[in-house]
Amino acid sequence: MRSTPLWASEAARPWTREAFADLRAAAGAFRVGLTGAFTAWPALVGRVAFYAVCLMVLGAFWGKVGASRLPGTLATRLPPGGLGPYVGVTEWVVISVVSVQLRFEDEVRSGALEARLLRPRSWALLLIAEAAGGTAARMVAIAPAGFALLLMTGLWPGPQALARTALLAVGGAVLTLLVYALVGLSAFWVRRVLPAMLIAQKLMFLLGGLFAPISLYRGWLHALAFASPFAAQLGFPGQAILSMSWGGFARALAAQAAWAITLAIVAALACRAGVAKTLREGAS
Amino acid sequence: MKPAVTVQDLRKTYRQPRRRTGAFGGLRGLFQPEYVELAAVAGVSFEIGVGERVAIIGPHGAGKSTTLKMLSGVLEPTGGEAQVLGFTPWRERRALAYRIGVVFGQRSQLWPELPARDSFALLRRIYDQPAEAFARRLGELAERFGVAGLLDQPPGRMSLGQRMRCEIVASLLHAPALLFLDEPTIGLDVTAKAAIRDFIREQSAREGQTVVLTSHDARDIELVCERVIVINAGRIVLDEATEGLRRRFLARKLVTVRSVAPRLEVEMAGVTRRPSEPHTTVLEVDTARARVEAVVAAALAHGGIDDVSVEDPPMEEVVHEIYAALGV
Repeated sequence: MRSTPLWASEAARPWTREAFADLRAAAGAFRVGLTGAFTAWPALVGRVAFYAVCLMVLGAFWGKVGASRLPGTLATRLPPGGLGPYVGVTEWVVISVVSVQLRFEDEVRSGALEARLLRPRSWALLLIAEAAGGTAARMVAIAPAGFALLLMTGLWPGPQALARTALLAVGGAVLTLLVYALVGLSAFWVRRVLPAMLIAQKLMFLLGGLFAPISLYRGWLHALAFASPFAAQLGFPGQAILSMSWGGFARALAAQAAWAITLAIVAALACRAGVAKTLREGAS
Repeated sequence: MKPAVTVQDLRKTYRQPRRRTGAFGGLRGLFQPEYVELAAVAGVSFEIGVGERVAIIGPHGAGKSTTLKMLSGVLEPTGGEAQVLGFTPWRERRALAYRIGVVFGQRSQLWPELPARDSFALLRRIYDQPAEAFARRLGELAERFGVAGLLDQPPGRMSLGQRMRCEIVASLLHAPALLFLDEPTIGLDVTAKAAIRDFIREQSAREGQTVVLTSHDARDIELVCERVIVINAGRIVLDEATEGLRRRFLARKLVTVRSVAPRLEVEMAGVTRRPSEPHTTVLEVDTARARVEAVVAAALAHGGIDDVSVEDPPMEEVVHEIYAALGV
């Protein structure tokens, strides 16, 4: 293959070809993330152990709350069997998702972004795809620990509920990844992304229902949480393992799809604005 | 034939916020920001022909990397025009990316924890290359750059020289017509530097690639490039063939004599002795005051001579002379 000078007029590529090439490159980056995570298996084992510890602590906590059923508190509305399985699902999502915001921050702040912009593919797309690969590997590795918990506690929900939960958990992981990516993209404008990340984490905790289902909330807080992307991220997958009708499942999936599209568009616009800023002002 | 690169009055001015002092300075700066303008490139114009190997040199902050970034499309100029292989780089960055290869000496395009082979495979997808042609090209380049045995190693575990060879292979995998190299030998040892220079020169000669290189190492310029553009304070102060530059700025030759005697005495006007090892005498000849053949004859007259060589002074001295002449 000899390189020959190709001039602009000879090099036009149809957008469809570019779009497919983007997808193929993203698939390649996903694979890199997946194999990278499995290759670093000691870290994966550590993450599974961390998940197990989290579940033991939180399961015991909700077990105590559920057992006492103090009048006038939300404990009276807890589902039979406690919230162990619910927290098992929300933690499965949160602990699995790769901290892609740190990669974004590092590349923007260190100026490594400049070398990435020399490629004919979207830098952000490749970063997110690679992080998605790592997230998939973690979800696969952590899942057996979750199954073990369900078996040990005797709260096995049945294959249909498991399938619904798994699907919504994957959707939740995609949303979480997009939220993290948005936090990471803020590095174009702020010195550190940590404050933005702390805010996102608090919102996931409260509006996402990280430790308790948003169905336990009352009034405006319930409405706000339900309408936010954070419920689609964590609350819906968690709810699916407790009880969810097929109709509720379809609505949850639709909400996840809508939020995924919205967040992806916002991320694409933020990335476009950030890259334009870098092209104008230069990298760090 | 169209030139590979055409640059016309290219300018780049950075606008930086001025920091205010005092307790409320930061707050005032928020509402009434003030900016300082810094001209990194103040109107440069040149052309580079297809297959040419050109060095852009200059002291730190001269504007050479800024020029290279604008030509590769990762920085928008404040003014002026440029065409690279028929593209306006900052408007057609993505299309241009298929046609150029770029190596930033201090930035890696490989995944540090991934075997180099996997990084290259991902680059194949990124540049949308057909698998078969890509495999052939990787095989050829890996052989040529001596990295065939390193393909299963992650770059994070390679030496700097090995990693730089992999970086250059990565930049060539999509068969670019033009190669931008920003400090490609920075931080390398002498042997690795020599190998990288040989590889770049041979690669360009073999495939007719245009090479645009920035470096602080004069040997990079001397051994790779046939033309030098000197930039200072954002302007081109010199644009000349490497050989011509050497002749113009140094009317001197180095005569190296290896002899049986530990030291030779050659006393002539315009000839000075340079420090050297025993049995080797290095004489610097000012060609305006002494003829080289007379110096060689005087050396040979001593007898017991094993070897005589006549060379131009190293490029480093040429660069030093240029900077001194320009008051840089």
